[in-house]
Amino acid sequence: MNEVPLGFLELRGVTKQFGEFTALDDVNLSISEGEFFTLVGPSGSGKTTLIRILVGMDSPTSGDIALRGDVINDVPANRRPTCMVFQNLALFPHKTVGQNVEFAMKIAGVAASTRRERALELLELLRLPADFYSKRINQCSGGERQRIALARALAFDPEILFFDEPLSALDFRLRKTLEKELKDIHRETGKTFVYITHSLEEAMVMSDRIGILNHGKLIQIGSPDDIYNRPLNKFVAQFMGEVNTLAVDKAGTGKVKDSTTGSMYEITESGQEFESGFMIIRPEVMKIGNAADALPNRIQGVLFNDYALGSRIQYQVRSADGENHWLVERLQDDPFSGNAGEPVTIGWRAEDSILVPS
Amino acid sequence: MKSFSDWIRQPGLLNAVPVGLFLLVGFAGPLVLVLLYSFMPPKTFTLNQVPTLENYLSVVTQSYYISFGWSLMLAVITVALLLVITYPIAYGMTKLFNRWATLITILVALPLLISENIRLFGWVLLLLKNGVIDGSLQYLLGVSLSGLLYTVPAVVLGLVYVYLPFMLFPLVIGMSMVPDSLKEAASDLGASRLQIFWEVELPLSMPGILIGSLLVFILSLGSLAESKILGGQVIVMIADDIESAFTFAQNWPKGSVLSVLLITLSLVIIFFLFRNIDLDRLVGRR
Amino acid sequence: MKSLLQRKVVRALIVVWTLTVLLFLYMPMMAVVMASFTKQRYFRFPVNAWDTRWYEKAFESLSVRDLFWTSFSVALLVTILSVVLAFFGALAFARYDWKGRKMYQRIILLPIFFPQAVLGLALLLWFSSLGITTSWHTAVFAHMIWILPIVTLIMSIQVYSFDPVWEEAAYDLGASRLQVLREITLPILSPGIISGAVFAFLLSWGNFPLSLFTTGADQTIPEWLYSKMVSGYTPMVPTLGSLTMGGAAGFLLIAFLIVLAVRRLRAGKPD
Repeated sequence: MNEVPLGFLELRGVTKQFGEFTALDDVNLSISEGEFFTLVGPSGSGKTTLIRILVGMDSPTSGDIALRGDVINDVPANRRPTCMVFQNLALFPHKTVGQNVEFAMKIAGVAASTRRERALELLELLRLPADFYSKRINQCSGGERQRIALARALAFDPEILFFDEPLSALDFRLRKTLEKELKDIHRETGKTFVYITHSLEEAMVMSDRIGILNHGKLIQIGSPDDIYNRPLNKFVAQFMGEVNTLAVDKAGTGKVKDSTTGSMYEITESGQEFESGFMIIRPEVMKIGNAADALPNRIQGVLFNDYALGSRIQYQVRSADGENHWLVERLQDDPFSGNAGEPVTIGWRAEDSILVPS
Repeated sequence: MKSFSDWIRQPGLLNAVPVGLFLLVGFAGPLVLVLLYSFMPPKTFTLNQVPTLENYLSVVTQSYYISFGWSLMLAVITVALLLVITYPIAYGMTKLFNRWATLITILVALPLLISENIRLFGWVLLLLKNGVIDGSLQYLLGVSLSGLLYTVPAVVLGLVYVYLPFMLFPLVIGMSMVPDSLKEAASDLGASRLQIFWEVELPLSMPGILIGSLLVFILSLGSLAESKILGGQVIVMIADDIESAFTFAQNWPKGSVLSVLLITLSLVIIFFLFRNIDLDRLVGRR
Repeated sequence: MKSLLQRKVVRALIVVWTLTVLLFLYMPMMAVVMASFTKQRYFRFPVNAWDTRWYEKAFESLSVRDLFWTSFSVALLVTILSVVLAFFGALAFARYDWKGRKMYQRIILLPIFFPQAVLGLALLLWFSSLGITTSWHTAVFAHMIWILPIVTLIMSIQVYSFDPVWEEAAYDLGASRLQVLREITLPILSPGIISGAVFAFLLSWGNFPLSLFTTGADQTIPEWLYSKMVSGYTPMVPTLGSLTMGGAAGFLLIAFLIVLAVRRLRAGKPD
């Protein structure tokens, strides 16, 4: 299932150094045609540097970028059949919406009437009324500007469309809407999308595959399901959000031992070698109270706080030995009836233990 | 040498080259020349003489302190008057006038685009014997005020008039950088209006006051037209002395020494001024 | 509510004071215009006879025509050269972050606040030492020492609000460097360029202290006015003074109308 079709866009050992600082460290990646690929990483992870190299604004210190097998390292941005939607969109303030969308076609020498026709088509594709054509950019809202920027990029008819966190400045609801729209546009146009973001959640919603970047290194590439359920290390596991993490050592078949307290926990063997590292348990698979009684992995503790997280409620439990704080989440319409300060039992199934090497 | 080659390739530096070169040739060059001439013997027109301090000594012993004194005094008076005149306007423009403030800014700035000697000549017409003021008084009240022109107050009036925008605009910028929330906070903490003024508004708008004052001071110090047009022969300001040394007296070294003294004084003030401003913030508002 | 009343009184006083000062600023110019329409040889107030004969004389006079052309040529050349040089100067001032920029910004400002008469004399000394005969050409150079920094400063204000990512976006969409300049950089910076040009022209047109020492045998209008002012009254002074003011006002008006028209044209139809 990890088999990738012949690389459409391929990165081989791409490294970028700024003086002493290594922004990208031997990045190898193969993106296939028509794919929605998302690069996720915290700020400073090198994702902006990587996308600038891919677009042609910057060149790698070493390594190659190949499009359909041709190395394009030295092809400048204006000659590459790729195009980017910028973080702040970079819509031209002195041009109307129509002029913005038509820009690439004007540069390419397309006749005015054809340009207009195509621009109106694109506005329609992006659910913008036709009268936007003659509006000025400063008359448009944040969400409308997103769509205009996307239309402008699509008008270039690029082989690959890059996105540099274009949704990061928007409020939560609008972002959710646009994430879904973007996925629809991807399906409708069939183009290759390469998206970068610091939000793994955003990446999960839209992507076919996700690459996790940290300190200039690609740590894991995989489907959203892979990343979520089979994180390769603690960084990837914790990047998704709050998780329960325990340092453990292997202690026989199907068992691990807590490195500090010596408590034993059951796991399911994945077939992968594991000596010592971390056990990750997501808060939403944890059980609390009676529901935990029959589980193989149980911990006695004291409930000391609960937080409403919208659709879920999070319970914070201090283990009886005082060594750890555990997070347990339940759906909001199925709350746990214990009070703060009361002793509780929490637990999880063997198959919910995720092991990652240290 | 790697760091130097990096530095020389900066696009910013490359763009600075044309203006930089121009100012090097047209500004730094002449000033250095003036400095060199100030060490030449009196009434020489070449630089291949033995350097001497003679000119500096003669300036100190001769009566040039009079024109320096006048210039300094008039500059101080101009600054003081302009502070009093423009402070209420600046306050109005930042706090009261709202959208009218833009119109006032334009109206105050427009005269700067008119030659200053035309504007000063307007004052000649106003102050002249039988001019607008004298004539009106004679016509209406039968009294005559004929001695207005060619007096020291007339020169001060000219300086105040010409340099008013240079005090007003820095004051406005300085005051607009004091957030209203600070005043509200002070008032919330029990400060009276006078206390708010002394403790909050004045100290925080100090950069604007300082910039405006220093600006007006150096501009007045080096002024020429005001004393010539409105002062007649009553006073001689330092720029006057410099001009006559260079032109009528044909004594370049003497003119150079006086220039060097004036320039040094101005540069010290400008240096002080620069220490107190962040240009990126002032020009770019960011 | 005593404080409310107080506040109203203070407010009214500030308004009255501001209007008084504005009147103070414009009164001399009004006096000049008024004097230019009097009939008498010597100015007397109240004016009892009006006439336009000084204007007729001015328009007929060949020497006035010479003065006008000298002033105009100097101002035009100063404008063109300053705008071109200041364009790069402003990019260095506001766009790029480079070592030495703070220093550069301060050096740029120096000539603006430098005593102009002294600068003019220093330039006179400079020209004669280099063996250059002063004429209106040298005056162009002299004006630029003062005006180029001002234009740089004015353009910088616009450059500060320019986002280089616009250029990158255009480049990414296939534009060549020249197309980026023509389609993006110049149009977005054009308000700053136009205001810089307007200031350059008018400041040169009205400059007196620098012209005084650097025009040699040539004479600009402000110089001529000055020479007449100090050597005694002639009715041609208010007349030519009014004409220069009128010229400046007309220039400003035309520039303003051009900006308006360009803005309307741009908003109206696609290009």
